[in-house]
Amino acid sequence: MTETLDICPLSDLPPGAARVVEWEDLEIGIFNCDGVLYAIEDRCSHDNGTLADGEVDQAACTVECPRHGSLFDLRTGTPKTLPAYVPVETFDVRVEDDMIKLEVE
Amino acid sequence: MATPETIAEQEGLQGINSDYTEKYGFHDAENYLYKAPKGLSKELVEKISEFKSEPQWMRDFRLKALEYFYARSMPTWGSPHLAEVNFDDIHYFVRASEKAERSWDDVPEDVKKTFDRLGIPEAERKFLAGVGAQYESEVVYHQINEALEAQGVIFMDMDSGLREHEELIKEYFATIIPANDNKLAALNSAVWSGGSFVYVPPGVHIEMPLQAYFRINTENMGQFERTLIIADEGSFVHYVEGCTAPTYSSDSLHSAVVELIAKPGARIRYTTVQNWSTNVFNLVTKRAIAERDATVEWVDCNLGSKLTMKYPSVYLTGERAHGEILSIAFAGAGQHQDAGGKIVHAAPNTTSNIFAKSISKDGGRGSYRGLLEVAKGAHGSKSKVVCDALLLDDKSRSDTYPTIRIGEDDVDVGHEATVSKVGEEQLFYLMTHGLDEVEASKLIVNGFIEPVVKELPMEYAVEMNRLIELQMEGSIG
Repeated sequence: MTETLDICPLSDLPPGAARVVEWEDLEIGIFNCDGVLYAIEDRCSHDNGTLADGEVDQAACTVECPRHGSLFDLRTGTPKTLPAYVPVETFDVRVEDDMIKLEVE
Repeated sequence: MATPETIAEQEGLQGINSDYTEKYGFHDAENYLYKAPKGLSKELVEKISEFKSEPQWMRDFRLKALEYFYARSMPTWGSPHLAEVNFDDIHYFVRASEKAERSWDDVPEDVKKTFDRLGIPEAERKFLAGVGAQYESEVVYHQINEALEAQGVIFMDMDSGLREHEELIKEYFATIIPANDNKLAALNSAVWSGGSFVYVPPGVHIEMPLQAYFRINTENMGQFERTLIIADEGSFVHYVEGCTAPTYSSDSLHSAVVELIAKPGARIRYTTVQNWSTNVFNLVTKRAIAERDATVEWVDCNLGSKLTMKYPSVYLTGERAHGEILSIAFAGAGQHQDAGGKIVHAAPNTTSNIFAKSISKDGGRGSYRGLLEVAKGAHGSKSKVVCDALLLDDKSRSDTYPTIRIGEDDVDVGHEATVSKVGEEQLFYLMTHGLDEVEASKLIVNGFIEPVVKELPMEYAVEMNRLIELQMEGSIG
C-alpha cells in the first residue's frame, strides 16, 4: 500500500543538497539536482555506503558513493561506474504547496 | 661425470643466480629533463597536469583524487610490509624525454641503451604488433604496426591518448576503477603518468601481442602508469606487460591502475610478467568488465618485488560472459607475494575460472587472496577456483584467503585448495632417474606451474622458465 510522507519545505533542500529519511527498515536519500528532486535508497549496493553523504554532480545528475567512488544515476538508481553493479531502489518524490512529499510502499 | 656441456650449463646457471643486478638491476646516469623533489603535494599534482597541458577536467580529477588519498588511511590487511611504505620518500614524477618517439633512433641514447640491453627492440621486430616503452614517469617510445593503425586500432601512451582522443578517454576513464576505489588507486589517479591507451574497433582481431615495457631507473622512484583498454564488439587483443628496476638499498613504489572494457563478444587477454627488483613495492589495482558474450583473461605472473598486492578482477556484467584468471606467484627471501583474483558473476549463464599457483622458498611468503561472487539473478553461472601452493622449505609460508559469496541457487561453483611441500620421496624418485637434486626440484616446480606457463606466448614461456630457474638457484641444500 502506498504511503505519502511529508519530508520538509522545499526551501530546506536547496539545489545540490541531500537529506535522509527513515521509513520502516529503509533509509531513503532525497536529492535536489538543479531544482529537480530525486529519491533513492540511501545504501550503496556495493558496500552499504551512505549515498546522501556523497558528492552530487548536478550537471550529470549523479551522486558519488563516499566509500569507494561508484557513481549512481539519481534518475534511475543505476550505478554508472564500478565497483557497484546492482541498481538501488528509486522512489517517487514531488512538491506540493512547497512541501516535499515522498511516496513509499 | 661432468662433461664440458654440463660444466658450462652449471656455470651459466651460477651466473644467472647472481645476475639480476647485471641483467635487469643496472641503472643509468640521470640525464633528466625534470626530476621532482621527493614528496607529494597539491603543487606537484598541478605541475604534472601543467607539464602535460591537460584539460581542466583531468586537472580537477587529479586534485580530487589527491584529497581522497589524504583522507584514506593505509590498509591494515595484506602484509606488515605495507607499513614500511614511506610516501614522503618518493620521487613522484621524473621526465626523461620530451615525448613518446616512434623511432628508436630518436629515443635518448642512455634510455635506448637500456631497452637494447633488455632486448625490447629485437622483440618488437620479431613477434609484436606494437610496443610501448616507459622509462620512469613517461613513455619514451611507442610504435604500432601500420596495418593495424590503418584498421583503426589505437595503441599509444595514455598522455598522448588524452591529447588525441579526449572524448573517448573522458567517457571511459575511471569508470572501472574510480579514484576513490582505494588509497593506492587514489594516489595513482592524482599523479598518474604514462601507461597505455588501446582501442580495438569492432571485429578487429590483433593476432600478435601488443607489448608495454616498464622500467624504473631512479632510486626512490614512484611509477604510476595508467592503462585503459577498450575492445569493441567482437574484437580481440592480447596485451603483454613486463617490468624491471635496478636493485637499490632503499625502496621504490609502483602503483598502477589498469582498466579493461570488453564489449559484447570481444576478448581481451592481459599478460603480466612482473619482475621488479626486491626493493619495489608493487601495489596495483586491475579490474575488467566483460559484457555479453565477452571474455577477459588475466595471466598474472609475479616473480619480483618486495611486496606485491594485486588481485586482478573481472565483472561479468553481460549474459554468457567469461572470466579467467591464471596467477603464478614466486616468493623468495624477503618477498611477500599477496596475489590472487576476483570474479563477480553479475549476469546469468556466466562462467569463470581462477587458477592460482604460488611457490615459496627461503622464507618467502605467498598468499592467495580471492573473491568469487555470484549475484542474485545470475542463474546458470559456473565457476571453478583452484589455488595450489608449493613450499620448498620449512622457513617459507603460504596463506589462502578465499571469499565466496553466492546470492543465487541455480549455480555450479567449485573451490579446491592444496598446499604441498617438495617431498624427499619425489626428489628421490627423480634422482633415481639420473637427475641431481637441483634438477629434480626444478622439474617439480616446472610441472607445478606448467598449466599457467603454457598459456603464455612462446617467448614469454621460455623467459618464465628461465626466471623460475633463476629463482630456484641456491634453493636446495
